[in-house]
Amino acid sequence: MQQDKTWGNRIFDFVNHGLLLLIGIVTVIPFIYILAVSFTSPHEVAKGGFILFPKEFSLAAYRYIFSTDTLIRSLGVSVYITVIGTFINLLFTSLMAYPLSRRYLRGRQPILLGVLFTMLFSGGMIPTYFVVKSLHLTDTLWSLMLPTAISAFNLIVLKNFFQAIPDELEDAAKIDGCNDVSVLFRIVLPLSMPAMATFSLFYAVAHWNSFFSAVIYINDSEKWPVQVWLREIVILAQSRIGDTSIEETEIQPLTIRMAVIVFSTIPIMLVYPFLQKHFAKGVMLGSVKG
Amino acid sequence: MKATKKKAVAVLSTLALVTGLLAGCGSDEGQAAEGGVQNVSIAIAQVGDVPSKGNEIQQKIEAYTNTKLDIQWIPASAYNDKINVMIASSDMPKIVKVQYNPTVTSAMRNDVFWEVGPLLKDYKNLSAQNERFFDNIKVEGKIYGVPVFSDIARATVIYRKDWFEKLNLKVPTTPDEWYETIKTLATSDPDGDGQDNTFGLMLFKKYNEDQYSFTTRLGVSFGAPNKWKVEEDGSFTPEFMTPEYMQVLDLLKRLYDEKLLNQDFAVFDSTEAEKKYDSGVVGIRVGVAQNGKSQQERLSKNNPDGVVDIAGLLGPNGDRVAGQTGNSGILAFPKSTVKSEEELKNLLSFLDKLMDPEMATLLMRGMEDKHYTKVGEDQVEMSDFDAFQREVKPYRDNLPYVEGYNVPKLKDTELGEKGTALAKELAEHAVPNPALTLYSPTYGDRGADLDQVIADAQTKYIMGKIDQSGWEKEIENWGNAGGNKIREEYAEDYKKQAQ
Repeated sequence: MQQDKTWGNRIFDFVNHGLLLLIGIVTVIPFIYILAVSFTSPHEVAKGGFILFPKEFSLAAYRYIFSTDTLIRSLGVSVYITVIGTFINLLFTSLMAYPLSRRYLRGRQPILLGVLFTMLFSGGMIPTYFVVKSLHLTDTLWSLMLPTAISAFNLIVLKNFFQAIPDELEDAAKIDGCNDVSVLFRIVLPLSMPAMATFSLFYAVAHWNSFFSAVIYINDSEKWPVQVWLREIVILAQSRIGDTSIEETEIQPLTIRMAVIVFSTIPIMLVYPFLQKHFAKGVMLGSVKG
Repeated sequence: MKATKKKAVAVLSTLALVTGLLAGCGSDEGQAAEGGVQNVSIAIAQVGDVPSKGNEIQQKIEAYTNTKLDIQWIPASAYNDKINVMIASSDMPKIVKVQYNPTVTSAMRNDVFWEVGPLLKDYKNLSAQNERFFDNIKVEGKIYGVPVFSDIARATVIYRKDWFEKLNLKVPTTPDEWYETIKTLATSDPDGDGQDNTFGLMLFKKYNEDQYSFTTRLGVSFGAPNKWKVEEDGSFTPEFMTPEYMQVLDLLKRLYDEKLLNQDFAVFDSTEAEKKYDSGVVGIRVGVAQNGKSQQERLSKNNPDGVVDIAGLLGPNGDRVAGQTGNSGILAFPKSTVKSEEELKNLLSFLDKLMDPEMATLLMRGMEDKHYTKVGEDQVEMSDFDAFQREVKPYRDNLPYVEGYNVPKLKDTELGEKGTALAKELAEHAVPNPALTLYSPTYGDRGADLDQVIADAQTKYIMGKIDQSGWEKEIENWGNAGGNKIREEYAEDYKKQAQ
């Protein structure tokens, strides 16, 4: 039964849609700009102006960045630390969050306080470096994954999420013969897919964007993730005008910088649609009756 | 019973996972010299691409110096953090390129690096260079490394010659001339398209920071000190408390008020300003001597008729140009890895050999017939500059070299040759920064913050957000926040070093 909309309703819809469309455009335009510039000839870009569609289509920038295998190799490194790193994150975070979410665990409060403490105080860059070094992790990709295996903030949020799962479910599982580990992997985790999807996204994006620890811990440039190169190419271009000369620093043309941004952003953007379907609500609706 | 078994499996598999993770991390750091070949490990700054291991340039260097190089490239984006970590952990290769900053100088003071001053005289190429280079990296009067040489004074005026001729202008020297020139350039439509779309000068954020500071360079030419002035009685005055420097601020304020300066300069990115210069809508700038040539090249792409020329930024009397550190870093030798003086001497002779004619030519010109070709007796021409930038520049920028020393002349455009000659000439008129190698613990602790306070105040003054009395108040705040203490500490150290 469709009811006739009142004028007020229509105006509201109109304004609403218009506003959302505007916000959408504002969000998308920078991406389009970057994409367009990366495909434009350097000559056209130098003329200035705002480019939303390449007038002179050119692949020169991409030809340049693919002329060595540096970026492709570093992309492989990034994918590796993102996939393996996120897996480690999720595994260890849930292994710690689940016990802490159970009220009958003895000594829960002191441990939680300890976790909280690390959120407020950290060892600092140099002591952390010593830890990583004495574990012989320097110059290995593990140095990018293990020191950040559990994020205290994510741990606490996940713990709270687990707490919302009714104790009755656990009891039922135990009666059916589950032990603690299988309760976690067979009952709790499958029920927590929205949370897992969210945290894997958090973790994955953090791994994808990590560059500082790579510079600090890894000396071998062949093991650098793509962000190190991206930063080098994009940030270096921001150096001082007074002394930027061919004698001083080499500024990459805008087209090349944009091409590198596109190259290093697309893969992580592609992850979003696949995770989005897990953000569905109501997984636990009706699991406990009565 | 089944449950316990399962539990055991779970525990075991977790353990296996953890040990597996830890096992993948062994590394060995074996180093041994074989057959007289010296192992040289070196940490230097990444310049563009990281050259592939075992490339031709590196092979040539290794063959000539009889070394085996192990180069660790550090990205510029985290260079100083990385160096700090390396110093703190004593985890350093045999040669480290460091910058002259408080962390490094305090490490030098604490004997982290070898002192090389007394040894330098034994190396013919290193000792042949201007003493100023070495004076500028002294810490408590001692030299703790080899500078990567760069021009000591390089501030020039780069301007549109075609516009200047058309409007009958000459290169400005006094504040009033600068005002008139910029005004004329901005208002008389020098590009002749009938539109009011040209600028005299383009200012950008960070215009007053560091040794590249536009205001310092201009101020020095007007007679202001280079960052610090030593008074008759040995006390220190910062540049921004001198009337000459105020002339620069007043000039910029006047230009800003009359809308002759880009109004968004406080947030304007230098790369954006660079683009404006390249697209040919701005008439004059202050830059490096060698910049003239590259400016011309980039301008020509957009405006084939545009002509660029350069002139020294030397002021009304033609004799003052702001001096700089004269290095782009210091190659230092950590005591934790260089164990004996014998080894130190070997490393010094490695660096010295890099300035021999054969190596100097390799670093500055590349390889014959690949990067350059001979065009006459002792003169060469770059044949593949892009390849040079990618393959040779990363080495050259990090190792000692001096343009014109032990190297064949470069056939260049007229502007390029003029730039090289001008850079040499400017060095003779350099006004040094007297506080460059002085020690101030307060500056080490809070210098960066204090610099920012006064830089922001200058921007506010130019934009008219504060007036004369507001500006004086900002200086007072700066003094109370630690500025006065820095002045005292500099004066004290200056006295100590003069003795």
